Amino acid sequence: MLRTTLILFIAVWAVFVVVPVALLVLWSFLEMKDYSFSSGLSTAAYAAVFDSGRYEVTLRTLRIAGLVTAIELGLALPFALWLAKGVRSSMLKAMVLALLTVPFFISLASRTIVWRSVLSRSGLVNTALMHFGIVEQPVDWLLFSEFSVHLGLLAPSFPTMVLPIFLSISLIDDELIEAARDLGAPPAKVLGDVILPLALPGIIAGIIFTFVPLLGETVVPQLLGGGRVSMLGASISSLLQVLNYPVAAALSTLVLGILAALFIALRLIGGGSIAAVFEGMKR
Amino acid sequence: MPSPADKANDAPALEVIRASRHFGAVRGLDDVTVTAARGEFLTILGQSGSGKTTLLRIIAGLDHPTSVAALRIGGKDVLGLPPNKRNVTTVFQHYGLFPHMSVGQNVEYGLKLRGVGASERRTRAEAALATVRLTDKYDRRIHQLSGGERQRVALARSILTEPDVLLLDEPLGALDERLRLDMQIELVELQRRLGMTFVFITHSQEEALTMSDRVILMRGGRIAQEGTPRDLFERPCSRFAGSFMGVENIIDGTVADFANGIAGIATPAGIFHGLWTGVEPPRVGQAAALLLRAEKLRIGTTAFADSFEGRITARIYKGKYIDVAMETRVGVIHARAWTDEDLTSDTVRIGWSAGDARCVPAEG
Repeated sequence: MLRTTLILFIAVWAVFVVVPVALLVLWSFLEMKDYSFSSGLSTAAYAAVFDSGRYEVTLRTLRIAGLVTAIELGLALPFALWLAKGVRSSMLKAMVLALLTVPFFISLASRTIVWRSVLSRSGLVNTALMHFGIVEQPVDWLLFSEFSVHLGLLAPSFPTMVLPIFLSISLIDDELIEAARDLGAPPAKVLGDVILPLALPGIIAGIIFTFVPLLGETVVPQLLGGGRVSMLGASISSLLQVLNYPVAAALSTLVLGILAALFIALRLIGGGSIAAVFEGMKR
Repeated sequence: MPSPADKANDAPALEVIRASRHFGAVRGLDDVTVTAARGEFLTILGQSGSGKTTLLRIIAGLDHPTSVAALRIGGKDVLGLPPNKRNVTTVFQHYGLFPHMSVGQNVEYGLKLRGVGASERRTRAEAALATVRLTDKYDRRIHQLSGGERQRVALARSILTEPDVLLLDEPLGALDERLRLDMQIELVELQRRLGMTFVFITHSQEEALTMSDRVILMRGGRIAQEGTPRDLFERPCSRFAGSFMGVENIIDGTVADFANGIAGIATPAGIFHGLWTGVEPPRVGQAAALLLRAEKLRIGTTAFADSFEGRITARIYKGKYIDVAMETRVGVIHARAWTDEDLTSDTVRIGWSAGDARCVPAEG
């Protein structure tokens, strides 16, 4: 039974994951001539990635996605801890979880465009700042800057960080937390020695679910970056629009490589203990 | 050691004076006073909802009383202190072992928090594991252990920090019967050897009887009775205490007379006598109950003044004895027959010596 399931899983996984990735890597070593692939292999596409400044776009994207992920983690951990262990009423818990999903009812573009009226030169923030005499001239860097892109990315990515962490903290038996306190652990030690190690699977899942979609994000940089903050998603789209498949494929392969490296790093940090946590959950 | 510590050493290990804990309108704990002497094995006995777990959580610092006159552990006032500032440890119902740590790391966690160095920690943890007969299990993972072994790891972890009081929250509940009986003996031996104060929470009257120096029986957030196991078994002070301590036959009635410690209880089948074990002397006409243990009833004899007839409805072979159920004028009565000769006819007379029966108030 287990064997059959496993073989089925590997077959489906191969069709939907391995084949596209293999083709992507293959394409990145081809060249385009008159809207069709040439026969020989070449590294021209990779050279183009570095020459055309798309390498800088990659670095900027990694930096923005990394910073936003780090901020989300900082916000989500205390929030998830409060929701999982602080809130005793399951009514309130269900309500807060429902509130977290409300933003998904409206499209990302509609939600994002609203920031413009808040951050623009004549927007809410600048009007308030000038009204209270804090600044003489409207602040420029609020909109169409990396600042506004970061800000715009924060809210849409919050649920993907919070939910896995919330679930993994919820699964921690209250008795373990009480046992730690009982043995003499002050709150910081309870957090560091018991809650965080046991919540690690959720934390890692949250980081991956948040960081990876951020790399491909197109809407927010386009609407709040105003053409000044170019990120990977848009870069690859524009390459595809001009039918430059090899360079698009090379850029994608590069990102895939970076993600693979990140994944291996995360496994090295938490791999062994994650297995132990799942073993330990068996009562 | 400075003198305050010496003074503290003479104090009782545990003093909970007039503690109450209200959950909304519910009185989880209602004006309860519990003390334990150093080295005492004290059992808190009661059903779920009797307040025994609330009491334990208040002692551990995991919950706080709504009102209390004093809360001292080892002579030290711990009122309002968090659990990590109290010198008590708890063996939890499901052991509370950390799944991401090895057996050794679990056991020495309390010492690690107290800043004890790694090599000393290991030595002491291994000694504690040896105390609970788990030598060579230091590097095991928790999920590799059986229920009984986890129980012992939890014990080793809790005794290692040498608490003034060790709290045990129904620790034997999750074990199968054979293991439970072994662990009862092991726990008592461990407690004697360490000379540590144990406060043991259970709903099992059998565990309370066999293990404790003293038992506190709780009901509805209050203390129903406290005393030695013998006191509770031999001299229940109320209908509830008798029923909880396993009295098979309880006949309700009213007090008809009282002389020389023996009360007469008027029942539908006549007036029957037994030793009055209520706290207050009885008043004539007061609602009361006659408690008759099955093994104290004699079948087929007319030698006793207190007796009535019954018709046998069931004979259940129990090995050492035969459990006999009979229909009588006061309801179904259970008695024990030791041989088949006692059960030759279906209608038998059962009787008892007044000194073997107990009479208690119906309330309280």
